[in-house]
Amino acid sequence: MNNGLTPLTAPTEAQLQAIGSVEILVGIPSYNNADTVGHVVRAVSAGLAKHFPGRRAVLVNSDGGSSDGTPSIVARTVVDYQHLFIGDQQSVLHRIVTPYHGIPGKGSAFRTIFEIARRLKARACAVVDADLRSISPEWVELLLRPILEEGYDYVAPFYLRHKYDGTITNSLAYPLTRALYGQRIRQPIGGEFGFSGPLAVHYLDQHVWESEVARFGIDIWMTTEAVASGARVCQSFLGAKIHNPKDPSADLSAMLTQVVGALFAAMEQHEGIWSKKEGSQPVPLFGFPYEVGVEPVNVNVERMVSHYRQGLTDLEPIWRQILAEDTFMQLRNLQGASKTDCRIPDELWVQVVFDAAIAYHKRVMPRDHLLKALTPLYLGRTASFVYATQGLTSTEAEHKIEALCHTFERMKPYLLERWQPLAPQSTAPALLHHTTTDAGGDHE
Amino acid sequence: MNDFINQALLGPLELLGRHVLTVLPNVLAMGIILLGGLFAAWALGSFAERLFRVIGFDHLCDRLGMNAALLRGGVKTDPSRLIGRSIYWTVVVLASIAALGALNLTPINQFAQSLLAYVPHLVTAAVILLAGYFLSNFASQAVLIAAVNAGLPPARLIAACSRWGLQVLAVAMAMEQLGIAQHIVVVGFGITWGGIVLAGAIAFGLGASDVAKEFVERRLVARSKPSAADDLHHW
Repeated sequence: MNNGLTPLTAPTEAQLQAIGSVEILVGIPSYNNADTVGHVVRAVSAGLAKHFPGRRAVLVNSDGGSSDGTPSIVARTVVDYQHLFIGDQQSVLHRIVTPYHGIPGKGSAFRTIFEIARRLKARACAVVDADLRSISPEWVELLLRPILEEGYDYVAPFYLRHKYDGTITNSLAYPLTRALYGQRIRQPIGGEFGFSGPLAVHYLDQHVWESEVARFGIDIWMTTEAVASGARVCQSFLGAKIHNPKDPSADLSAMLTQVVGALFAAMEQHEGIWSKKEGSQPVPLFGFPYEVGVEPVNVNVERMVSHYRQGLTDLEPIWRQILAEDTFMQLRNLQGASKTDCRIPDELWVQVVFDAAIAYHKRVMPRDHLLKALTPLYLGRTASFVYATQGLTSTEAEHKIEALCHTFERMKPYLLERWQPLAPQSTAPALLHHTTTDAGGDHE
Repeated sequence: MNDFINQALLGPLELLGRHVLTVLPNVLAMGIILLGGLFAAWALGSFAERLFRVIGFDHLCDRLGMNAALLRGGVKTDPSRLIGRSIYWTVVVLASIAALGALNLTPINQFAQSLLAYVPHLVTAAVILLAGYFLSNFASQAVLIAAVNAGLPPARLIAACSRWGLQVLAVAMAMEQLGIAQHIVVVGFGITWGGIVLAGAIAFGLGASDVAKEFVERRLVARSKPSAADDLHHW
């Protein structure tokens, strides 16, 4: 446990003193989001005024040193409540705009938000990305009400997305977390979450803030930590997610490394929990699901296949260390005559992921090298998915993802057989009030 | 007659006896030091070998590619045993030098002193070589993965260059530490690298100017016109 407080700036400390305590906190991590952050602030403010008019609330912007005036936009954005038919706003929405300390990244921004939630004794919190274009005031209700009124600890988002949007989620994060922890959380790295005050304190107390979690690993870590700590988890239907394109210079390899690194690290930490789970259960979904048109996504499959094939040739000695002999031989035998073709079937992809997790656990090579060496494999699998779903609707593609999830669950014994525990692990879920030993622990 | 026997025969014998009596303690001391040294060498070598085996040094070397490198060099002994034997022979050599020093003979003392003074350089050179080897393996693996992820076709060549570059640098530094033709090493290193770069540049310029032109054009065009549409959201 870490009993030290996360450092905050002097003006923020003064604001916290002045505010005292709140019921609701909404956090917006940002970095150079001047184009969209005003819309996000208006949506959050309207959502709080419309759906939680009598509750003390605070909006926290945790900024990573934007140079485009993002914090000042957050501070001075005004909402025309009258035109939103909101006439009875009963309490003032406080705003805290603060920079964060630590490793630059989304995780560090969240850490500051968690710390402010702890200081203000917030009952329910939500975080939303600053680059959202499709956020509406209803998102605030959907992320917070399950916590305030239904007794849930963690609300994951449920979006409608194009079949080629969120490929790390579809091929890796969703199937793996589902197979490991037995809960079908469709968007475990969605970006928008709701969580209870005690869960925020639990997050804050973990020693992860110098790891991948401080960067893009935060989303998957929050989800796995919530499930593993015995939190009550649900989902809320938010409609379509439309956001500004990610920074084109952002390195896919770095993103993949951070997400997969956080996933594998959580596997080591919670081995005692996931090793006992079998199959998976649906997670309650709040909101009103509806069909929505999603933006088309252009895909350059040839480039992905080219990366994969180069990996198969140039990274052979490294892949041989990471993968089981049988897995590698299957990959090599699948290499067809056509230079643009690539078909990695579900079973083989599951073997690849499980082999990589085992290699990470056994430290067969420097972990950073191992994770980065997975990039061409991931691109090969993504290309395979694109080939397999060409001409299919997003709903039909969803069936393919469901089949992959079943394969992950069915092949879990493959992982368990090869995973050797290094040291006795704590099997007791941490801290939260909904544990198996509690009287109310009915979700296990 | 008695004088003759005393002076011509017994005198030298007495002198020899006195010499022997003078040297005998030193010889005995040499023997004791040598025996003690051999025992210490055996004990330390065995202990070190077991210790390294227990802490999983062989496994670590395997992961770092040391075992494979040793096999490539025809060494089939595992690293723990190698370290044990190295310690054994180091102690034996040191004990031998100390034992020879016990004879208290000027030339041997001088030799022993100069040899002992050289030991720190030997150790430093060995450390440099080992560190260079590990660093070159680590760096070349990182370079290879980064180059493949960046889609650079000569990824393996780039990785090999980084490995050999670091290893050559380590060898040059180790030789400098050993005092072997210090200036020749530095100058030779500069000439070799300069020559390689110049030869590469000339060869590429003369033999592959079209490839270079095409490469530069492709890079510039790719930067100015991102024609390969791909807005896949991996996230």
